[in-house]
Amino acid sequence: MTEKKLILALPKGRILEECGPVLAAAGIVPAPDYLKDSSRRLRFPTNHPELDVVRVRPFDVATFVAFGAAEIGICGADVLMEFDYSEIYAPLDLGIGICRVSVAEPVGMAGTDDAARWSQVRVASKYPNIARRHFAARGVQAEIVHLNGAMELAPGLGLSRVIVDLVETGSTLKANGLMETEVIAHVSSRLIVNRTALKTKPEQIGAWIAKFREAVAQR
Amino acid sequence: MKIELSIPSPALLPAGFRDVLPPEAEAEAALVEGLMQVFGSHGYERVAPPMLEFEESLLAGAGAAIAEQMFRLMDSDTHRMMGLRADITPQIGRIATSRLVHVARPLRLSYAGLCLRTRAVAPELARQVAQAGVELIGPDLPEADAEIVLVAAEALRGAQVPGLSFDLTMPALVPAMLDEAGIVGVARQALLHGLDRKDVADVAEYGGVLAGVLTDLLLAAGDADQAIAALARVDFSPEAARLAQRLTDSARAVQARDPGLKLTVDPVEFRGFRYHTGVSVTAYAVGSAEELGRGGRYLSGPNAEPATGITLFPEAVARVAPRGARKPRLFVPLGIAGAPALRVAGFATVAQLAAADDLEAEARRLLCSHILRNGVAVALPVLQTENK
Repeated sequence: MTEKKLILALPKGRILEECGPVLAAAGIVPAPDYLKDSSRRLRFPTNHPELDVVRVRPFDVATFVAFGAAEIGICGADVLMEFDYSEIYAPLDLGIGICRVSVAEPVGMAGTDDAARWSQVRVASKYPNIARRHFAARGVQAEIVHLNGAMELAPGLGLSRVIVDLVETGSTLKANGLMETEVIAHVSSRLIVNRTALKTKPEQIGAWIAKFREAVAQR
Repeated sequence: MKIELSIPSPALLPAGFRDVLPPEAEAEAALVEGLMQVFGSHGYERVAPPMLEFEESLLAGAGAAIAEQMFRLMDSDTHRMMGLRADITPQIGRIATSRLVHVARPLRLSYAGLCLRTRAVAPELARQVAQAGVELIGPDLPEADAEIVLVAAEALRGAQVPGLSFDLTMPALVPAMLDEAGIVGVARQALLHGLDRKDVADVAEYGGVLAGVLTDLLLAAGDADQAIAALARVDFSPEAARLAQRLTDSARAVQARDPGLKLTVDPVEFRGFRYHTGVSVTAYAVGSAEELGRGGRYLSGPNAEPATGITLFPEAVARVAPRGARKPRLFVPLGIAGAPALRVAGFATVAQLAAADDLEAEARRLLCSHILRNGVAVALPVLQTENK
């Protein structure tokens, strides 16, 4: 059991390509097809016999690491904010995947009413907890419409008043007639580790954290 | 698409609860008894508080930290609110400082029982948790801190837990440092959250004058010697220095008494059952994501008497410890007077109640490994099973 391989969980999609140079600088070379969406494989060996890489959805990276299925992972601070798992340590900001979690609403509606008068608001988001907490702090009860994608459609089709979503350049918002009205948090990708794994294998996990730290310092 | 519209099966239990079946139930009970025996052999006397108490007494002192985890119900006689215990330690504190207040200190007590929680917390996801533990009420000394670690280690080794590892922390250290640096309000909340998640970026952002020191300490968590060396390099203010020294002394006390025990130290961790005020400890098994036990120093009862203790979680321990061999089951054919001598020798006897043609087949059907013939337990020959 103690000889089990370490698992590094990587997020599919947006951040995966940006992870490449960081992994390379940390001396990790996964099997080449890990970047290919066409690959049916989900688990890939690396140049380190004791380390395997798994490729999962960004939200699932946090879940895999929180439950100890993967000891290490790379995941956006947005996901950590949403779940707030106490079993996850986030010891390093990798400085990649820079974006923000923001509130956006239709261009035509922004500024037409005083948000301070709201007692409730309907919000479409894939971040129900972040959205609820954000509005609760302003005394507004957020009614969440939980969507997994295409949030930008929701206000136009009457599904919600505003959306809370990840914004990188803002071009998707603009193309759908929305404007960013408030930044909830600036987000970048973090190296995360399972709490128990760090407590029980401090030398091994600590060595990987140190390699990533050097890799980030080099950039 | 088929949606189940009928009423759920009566076998369905509320989330976070489970039936424990053979052979796990017996193994868990044996495990708890094994732990309790080790506790008893170190002079810890067993007490058994009730499941239910008045809310105020459960929540007094150390108990306040678990208020949100407690199931409540009303006593129909007195109309007073009662609580189902979510943790046994506060009950032991209550007993030590009330009914046993005149017993000589140090007072060593042990307990085993079930607790209920309103919410299932990952990764265990159980709302009923077994606890077995010891409390050492009296001297506030590194030797006492070390004793509970060593007793727990002996109990877990007795259960043959592989890769045992203990983590020592001082939950009061970080708050003392923040107090003395005058970090308050929202910045303090953000910094504490960042420290709890070992988020170096947050600690750098909200750490103010302490950012450098806290980051160093954060990164020093791990091997005890390395963490102690990092603590020694920090120029603490007086109160923080006292706490850091105590953490060092307690870690050294454990190392001196059991040099082979894997020990880590995490100076900035302040997590626990939240009532911990001094050196705290968590037990792990390398390779398992679950905590096997948790404890630490706290103040017990209305007079804030110093106390320390550790609670082991037998269900988590059972998942990492090898399960002991089951008793061999001896089939006793109809009409034969039991076999007390064989029971004493370790057999579980299974009496035949109704006649059957093939005794051997009947014995197998009842999961027996042996059959009683002429007063002797005869092992049933192993059948050639076809594994295809």
